[in-house]
Amino acid sequence: MPDIETAALSRQVQEVLAEALQVPLEQVVPDLHFGDLPQWDSMGHMEVMMFLEERFGVEITSETIAELISLPAICRHLGTRRHA
Amino acid sequence: MPDRAQHSLEIVPQHPIPAQLVADIQSKLAYVDEMILTAHVSGESQLIRLGLNQQPDAARRAALEEKVHRVVASMVKGAIAPKVQVLEDYLDRPVPYREDPLPALQVQGEVSREADGIYALGPLVAWLIEDFEKRLLDLAASFGAAPYRFPALIPARYLERVNYFRAFPHSLTFATHLRTDLEAIDHFAQQATCRPDGSLDIPSGDFAAIQALLSPAVCYHLYFSLADQSLADGRLTATAVGDCFRYEAINLNSLERMWNFTMREVIFVGQKDFVLENRELARQRMQPILEELGLAYRVESANDPFFIGEFRRQAAYQSAFQLKYEIRALLPYNQDTLAVGSYNYHQDFFGRHLNISLPDGSPAHTGCVAFGLERLAYAFLAQYGPQPGDWPTTLREAFDER
Repeated sequence: MPDIETAALSRQVQEVLAEALQVPLEQVVPDLHFGDLPQWDSMGHMEVMMFLEERFGVEITSETIAELISLPAICRHLGTRRHA
Repeated sequence: MPDRAQHSLEIVPQHPIPAQLVADIQSKLAYVDEMILTAHVSGESQLIRLGLNQQPDAARRAALEEKVHRVVASMVKGAIAPKVQVLEDYLDRPVPYREDPLPALQVQGEVSREADGIYALGPLVAWLIEDFEKRLLDLAASFGAAPYRFPALIPARYLERVNYFRAFPHSLTFATHLRTDLEAIDHFAQQATCRPDGSLDIPSGDFAAIQALLSPAVCYHLYFSLADQSLADGRLTATAVGDCFRYEAINLNSLERMWNFTMREVIFVGQKDFVLENRELARQRMQPILEELGLAYRVESANDPFFIGEFRRQAAYQSAFQLKYEIRALLPYNQDTLAVGSYNYHQDFFGRHLNISLPDGSPAHTGCVAFGLERLAYAFLAQYGPQPGDWPTTLREAFDER
């Protein structure tokens, strides 16, 4: 079950990132990192943070801005919150 | 700055202003309306006090209030608390002077105000700046920095390419010239006069389209010179001094905040570790220099003065990744501090936007350490006064031997 949950979460995050960065979903690969796409630059990163706040209720702080710099890191953060 | 306002307006902000945003919001209010001559934000009483050059009618007052609320809302709503980091704190270093040095310097003929933000400097201040420059050149030499010279003008298309217009539109200074048209030139030669406020009274249609601006920073020129190239050695260290121009409206204030000032920079281009290590090394090497000058100062995290729409995101981003630290010198006469230098890391922003690549094909990272020479001199004079006899020994002796 946890694997299904994780996969579903990863898919959700991929969709949100694609929307935030305005790129096709297929470009948002599961191990995407900040800087891998030209759109995920400093401005794009803050766009990602705004979307994570709006869609998942992630609190935007200096720490989350600096830590949530890859799709796996975002999924881990959200997964931890769900199971907390 | 002297209070020339004859009318005032008090506005209670619709959103509470957190303490860390008071100064930023106050500085942005300068750009809200040409009626505004002074702006003061009280964090404690949550009140905005504006000094105006005229009494607004009801409609203009409503429009003014709406603009003020818009500025506050855009900067306060969802504001992200910065991660404040203090790397060095020598603010309690004893310094002997307590007065604002400007009046004495003006009496001595050492500072001459030409217009708001435009100042000419006399031999004493010029000598101080030259002495600081020597020390900064030694710092640059310790990194093997190659000397560069850059123009005061910068092409508009360069600034567009690095999103400067979006981030700092309020502080731009545009350069233009008369249209290459005999009628326009003749008309100007015959008719040009200045209005009482000092502005040129000439039809804007006589000016050519703007292709260049006055440069807001030194290091941009280096990045543009490297655009669309691969760094053969994978790294570059450079140094340059240059005139910089940042329009600050009513915030222009003595030598603290000038429209036209001089900046010395040491610039690093290369891999992330190369840039970050050298930025840190530069900070460490500046410590004994600032100690020898006897400067009371602190080095703390900071953000650039992004315009309203960009402020929240970009300031938070800079803070989160610790991209900027400022050297803030004490101004004993008002117990405030003044940024006299900064240690900056831009990540691969310029590398990506200008296509500067490393030998492995990845975008170059950049960083710079920058010093505002007039501000450095002004902060020093605010702490030690305009009489060389009161200066720290090293400087006093060097001045006597000049």
